[in-house]
Formats: sequence, structure tokens, C-alpha cells
Amino acid sequence: MSERGARRVVVTGLGAVSSAGIGADEFTASIRAGRRTTSPVRSFDPSGFPHVHAGEVHDFEPRRWLERIDPAHWGRSGQFAASAARLAVQDAGLAAEDLARTRAGSVMGTTSGESAVIEELVGAWAADGLKALPPDVVGSVPAGRIAAAVNSELGLTGEALTLATACSASNYALGYAFDMVADGDAEYMLAGGADSLNRWAHAGFYRLGALAEEVCRPFDADRSGILTAEGGVALLLEPYERAVARGARIYAEVLGYSVNCDAEHMVHPDPTSIAACIRAAHRSAGVEPSQIDYICAHGTGTRTNDATEVAAVREVFGDRLPPISSIKSMIGHTMGAASGFGALICCRALYDGFLPPTAGVERTDPDLGPGVDPIPGRARTARPRIVENHGFAFGGNNAITILGRVA
Amino acid sequence: MASTASVLTAEQDGVLRAIVIEVLELEPEELTDTSSFIDDHDADSLLAIEILARIEKDLGVTIPQDDLTEMTNLDGVRAVVSRSLKEARDV
Amino acid sequence: MTSAAALSAPVAAGPLPPATPLAVTAVGAVSAAGIGLEALGRAVAEGIAGHADPAGLSEESLPPRPVRVVPDLPVAELIGRKGTRHLDRTTKLALIACRLTLDTYPGRAGERSGVVLGTSTGSIRSSSEFSMETLRQERPYLVNPSLFPNTVMNCAAGQIAIRHGLHGVNATIAGGHLSGVQSLKYARNALRQGHADRILVGGVEEFCAQSAWGWHLSGALGVDVPVGEGAAMLMVEQEPTASDAGRPVLARILACETGYGPPGRLADALASVVTAALERCGRRPEEVGAVSYGATGLTGLERIEDRAVRAALGGRSPGRDVRVKESVGECFGADGVLQIAGLLGAWRYTAAPAGELALVTAVARDGNVGCAVLEAGALA
Repeated sequence: MSERGARRVVVTGLGAVSSAGIGADEFTASIRAGRRTTSPVRSFDPSGFPHVHAGEVHDFEPRRWLERIDPAHWGRSGQFAASAARLAVQDAGLAAEDLARTRAGSVMGTTSGESAVIEELVGAWAADGLKALPPDVVGSVPAGRIAAAVNSELGLTGEALTLATACSASNYALGYAFDMVADGDAEYMLAGGADSLNRWAHAGFYRLGALAEEVCRPFDADRSGILTAEGGVALLLEPYERAVARGARIYAEVLGYSVNCDAEHMVHPDPTSIAACIRAAHRSAGVEPSQIDYICAHGTGTRTNDATEVAAVREVFGDRLPPISSIKSMIGHTMGAASGFGALICCRALYDGFLPPTAGVERTDPDLGPGVDPIPGRARTARPRIVENHGFAFGGNNAITILGRVA
Repeated sequence: MASTASVLTAEQDGVLRAIVIEVLELEPEELTDTSSFIDDHDADSLLAIEILARIEKDLGVTIPQDDLTEMTNLDGVRAVVSRSLKEARDV
Repeated sequence: MTSAAALSAPVAAGPLPPATPLAVTAVGAVSAAGIGLEALGRAVAEGIAGHADPAGLSEESLPPRPVRVVPDLPVAELIGRKGTRHLDRTTKLALIACRLTLDTYPGRAGERSGVVLGTSTGSIRSSSEFSMETLRQERPYLVNPSLFPNTVMNCAAGQIAIRHGLHGVNATIAGGHLSGVQSLKYARNALRQGHADRILVGGVEEFCAQSAWGWHLSGALGVDVPVGEGAAMLMVEQEPTASDAGRPVLARILACETGYGPPGRLADALASVVTAALERCGRRPEEVGAVSYGATGLTGLERIEDRAVRAALGGRSPGRDVRVKESVGECFGADGVLQIAGLLGAWRYTAAPAGELALVTAVARDGNVGCAVLEAGALA
């Protein structure tokens, strides 16, 4: 049996760096409008690729958002994470110095770490051999630099943990941060994730037949795959009591979470194992399936994911499926940051009162069976109380978080 | 299947066989024209895509990803590759 | 909206909750010292340098510096013959360490088991070679799809779960030099939350030309310090679980604390996590009988670590110094768990008395610092 921590934990700050905008407000407005912000790739040369669209953060200027760390010494993913964390702290109405004076840390998820740095080095290797690797760039390679960037930017003295559990990593991060705050190990935690666009993932997904040409449409009968994407996201977690005491805006309460592993196949998700993860997340949060008002889907845009995810949800919810949508239809698959963006939009959905849409759905795939409501087009006004956020990954790493509105 | 075999040269056919044997880690005698990649040789879809990718690279053809569903045994692979070669020639 | 200053009341953090001790009930290691814990323990205790010839390991030329590598990976014997063609060296090392650990585990691993695996950046060779293919092929997507999973950092942890049917928590900790203590801390929480009944906590790093050149050019490693490789794994469970099942406890993990210090204050930051770790398990500095060091050979950091440990222990030096990297070389993401395996191996080799208390320390240039406190158990 699990031991539930003594303290309730809430989200009071949100930060986003994404193709849909920088800052949680811009991001939320773009998602609510159902705006697709994917576009042709510019950060690497996509010539030779039949499919060139991705969710890129164009013209990102780290110096505009970062106050302490020098972007020259940190990779793109670390810059995304640190910028998102800085924005989340501002959004929470806190001064970084106050976080620095207490037990505060960060936990960030990623799939490919500092992949843009690695590809810069591969470029040098291709041109002049390994002996020509630029020494000042080599130091930016380790993936652990992502959470380190957050702690360095904010001057935090607690743990800086980077979780590399691929595409569910942000949910892993959120779960761990929740435990740390609930149990008193930390007073504040920044949880989220970051990844950068890179050629190798673009090539890999194309080769797997999983890459869409231009439009990612999860749940649509004519879906054709994912779009790769990048960005950084951070949520600030603190104890409920203190948030109330300091008059903070409380977006949502973290009610519980679960993680498990399919242990079946590296790239094929298993519906039974995902259903077990959903049930365990409900138990952790102390909720019944009937209380879930919305599911923020993993929703990558492949046929396999849709079929597996809906089958798993059906196994738990029976014939009364909650509305289920995918924000990847708008921003693409931000990999290690994906479930963090999902958590962010869940917080705003609970606080602002809406259900996020799936863009581009013209005809819901009848093969998914009856009762699938992907909230097509634009956001729907609603007052969700409890929502569920999915993250599945390479290696069968499932992680599901449950968030609730604080009345 | 007989009609498709004519499109492939003996050399090309040998390349296809060799790719399948290597990717699925088989002894040559284990692979027959109709033995199932999935049921008889423990293949999964990742290995199926690897077979497709290797054929594209080694024979210089382009195979639509949708044709994967036909590539369930060696004869299926021959049919798909023959079609792609024919289409490439007809263009 | 009230101003930020008005909203932020200073936070008085309460005392840390007591740490739950964990039991180590199996250990496995593969390194330049050899296959298995005995080889590592002997090398560490006797100061023997591991295998130093990288012949056959790299098609790329290697930098002119010493290396420590595992000469022959017993893949067929310890992993199997089938389905290993696409496994990269990182995954093979991790699977071998896992096999060695499970072979000595006196229980059954099974479904309710998890994996927490430390790394620096996954297999840097796999990701950079895959990326290189996109440049070298006629068209950038003519890559081998079966190699794609190797580019993802949680590949090794996923393979361990698949091959051994482990459905519990499966996490990959990109902690670099901090991977050991961060993985233990993560596993301690996961066990407490019920995400698994027992967890394989490991660390892995492969030797490759890419990282060898990286170390060589960056100057982060002393010029004569060898670049190494290896993997180590511990089976970790909550102590009552192990003792109720009658499994001998090889060592107890009493505390694992982490922190972050700004540049220029790394020694203070490390000293304070050492102090916090000891306080959290109710032990005094003078009880510490061994230190397993993490920063050996790292430019600038080695002295910081020595200074911090001395400061935290009140200036006295513990009886036993364990410097595993002197035998196995710089193993980055594998260092932390190799430090622990090396300590356990040395304890066993020298027939150390149960109850000896040890610190396992780590410090990284970024600012990450960490310390675990271990107590020797039934190692004989």
C-alpha cells in the first residue's frame, strides 16, 4: 500500500515555451481557439525529407526570458526549461529569492535531452572528425543539464532531477514533485519537461511511417501520424495551506498519479497495462471513473495510439467515455514536454472553465467505437472538476496524473 | 504469385531473401516462401519496417508504407517489391 | 493583483521527515575490473587497474589517453542469443548487470518489480551515429528503424523490463555523476508510494569514441585519468519486506540526500548535504568509517569533494577510502552505483564487520551535490 503524504499539493504557477506562444496565457488562448501552430522546420535543414512540418518554437530569444544563466553555456532544451520555470515562478506571484531561501527544487522530463547540442557536435564530426568537436559545446551535452538549468536560473538549492523516461517524462516529473511536496521533502517544486527538435527523431519517426505530412489529426478517420515538436513547460507546486495563506491563485490540486511499465514492446503500447495505470491513478487520487470529467489524451495522431488509448479508456470507463482530446493536434508532439503541456492545459481548463479541443477532426474514426468525443475544433465551455492527463512512452513507460479544481 | 516472380531477377530475389534472413535472425532453411514472419519467425512491426527500409536502401526502390500489411511472408514481399519496380519503370 | 513581494511570505521549512532505510539484497557489476562483484571488490581493495586495451571497440580513432573497458561482453551467456542484434553497448551493459544481480537475488523479481536506471545521456554513440546517418545517406530518412529505440534514453530500462517482465515503475534518471544518489532517492520514494515492491537501481555508461573525445577535449577530466565504462545494479527493497522474507541484507541505505549549489559554493553545498544525510538517519560524523568518492579524477571537483567531506566529518579522515574510478576509470552515469558496488565489493573482500558506516558522495560542475549513507550488513 502507498503512504499518502500529509500535505495537499496545488499548482500555483504555469510557464510555457511553445510553438503556440510563450507564457501560459498565450499558450492557453491559442489552444482554446483550436489554432494549429505547426509549420515547416527552420531549426535544421529539412531538405530531402518528404515531410517537413513540425511544432517549432520559431525565433526563440532566450535572453528575453532568462535573468541569471548565460544561454551560451546551456543547450536549447535547458533554455526552454529554465525560461518556462522562470515564467511559472512569475506567474505564481513569487520572487525567485524566496524560493532560493527554502527547500525548493526542480524535476524535468525529457526524451532526447540536449539533442540540438548533440546534432551540432555531429555536424562538427561530419565535417572534420571527432577530434574537431568544439570543447565549449561538449559540456552542454548531458541531459541532466535540463533541470540544472532551472536550478541555476532560479538559484534553487534543492534537488535538480532530470527524468529521461521519454514521452511520459513530464508526468513522471509531476508525480515525483507531488510526492516531494506532500511528504515535506520540498516546500516548492518546479515540475515539467523540455525537448528540442532534431533531425534524428524526424528521420526515425518518418522511417517508422509515423510522421504526418502536414496535419496531425488524432481521432480522425483520416489521421496520418504525428508531427515532431519542441518546447519547455513548468508547473510550480506548493502545499495547499501555504498557497491559501499567501493568497495565491490556485489553478488546480494534484490529486494523485500512477506510473507503470508495459514490459512488452519498445514501441507498441499495451492497452491492458495502460488501463491498469489509469485504475491505479484513480486509486491514488481517491476518485471513481464516473468522477472524471475530461481526459487530456496522449493522442499522438497515429492509428495505433488512438486504437490503444481508446481501448484502454474503454476498459476502465465502460461505455461512458469522458470527452477526450489531444492538444498535439495543434502543437505537435513535444516529446518529454508533452504530458507537461497536457498538465498545464488541464490546470487552465479547471481554473478557466473549458475543455481543450482536438483541432482538425472532420470525422471521428468510427473504428474507435461509439461514444468518442474528441471535442473537435475549438474549446468547449464547461466546468470540469476532475481531469485525467495521459502520458505513454517508448519502452512502455506509462504515467497518468489526476488534477482537480479547488473549490 | 507466378506473374510477379518474372519481374524480379534472380539476383534481386536473392537480395530479398538475404535481407529477411538477416533482419529476422533466421537460419536460411527456416525461411520458406510462405512461412509467416509474425507467426513462424517472431517478427514484430518494427522488424517489418526494418525489412522495408533495407529493401528500399539496397534495391533503390520506394515502397509505400501501406504495403507493409501485405509483407507478411516472402511471397508477399516479392509481390510488393515487384509492383514497386514495375511502377518505377512505368513512370 | 497584489505585488509579488507582498504575496511571498518567507517560508520556514520544517524538519525533514525521517528517512526510511532501504535494504540492498543483491548486487551485480560489470566493469573494466571484470564481470561480477568479486572482481570489482578485489580491484578496489587491492588498487588494481582494470582492463586498458580498447582494441576492437571503436572504428573511429580514439584520443591519446588511457582507457578502462570491459574486454568481452558475455552477451550470449548472460542476455541470450536471439534479439540482441540491435542492442547497443549501453543496453547490453545494463542487461548484463541486471542478469548478474538477479542471479544472486534470493527471491523472485517478477511483476511487482521496478527499474530505476541512471545515465548521463543514454548511448551518446547510438544517438550521434543515428543522427550522422541522416547526413550521410542519400536521403536523410534512410536510417535503420530498428536502431531508433537506441537513441531514446530510456531504451536500456525498457529492455530490462521487457526481458524480465517487470511491470513496476520504470524510470531513467539522467543524473550524470549524481545518477547513483538521485536514483536511490527516486527509488526510495517509489517504494514508499507503492509503485513497486522491489526495484533494480542501476547505472550504466558505455565507452565510445564520441564520449572519449568529449572528455579529452573538454578538459573536465585530468589528463592521465582514464575514460571507462560499466554498469552496476542493486536490488533495493524496504527493509521489512526483505527481512520478513528472510532475505539477507547486504547493506542498508540509511539516507540519500541531494542539493544544488551555486558556482564557488560547491564545497559548502556538498558538506551540507553530507551533514543533512547523517542527521536524517540519526548518525554522527565520528561514526563514519568509510567514504566512497565520486569526483576522483575530475578537474577541480576532486579537491572540492575532499574538502567538503573533511569539513562534514569535523576534519577527521575515515579509515577506509574507496576510489572505484582508480580501477574502472571515469564512468559518468554509472559512477554512482559503481561507487556503491565497489564499496560493497571491498567490504566483502576485506570481510568488513557488519555495521561499518559509509558515505557515498557525488558532486558535479553544474551545481548538483549528493550523499548516500550506507551501513554494512551480512556481506560474508
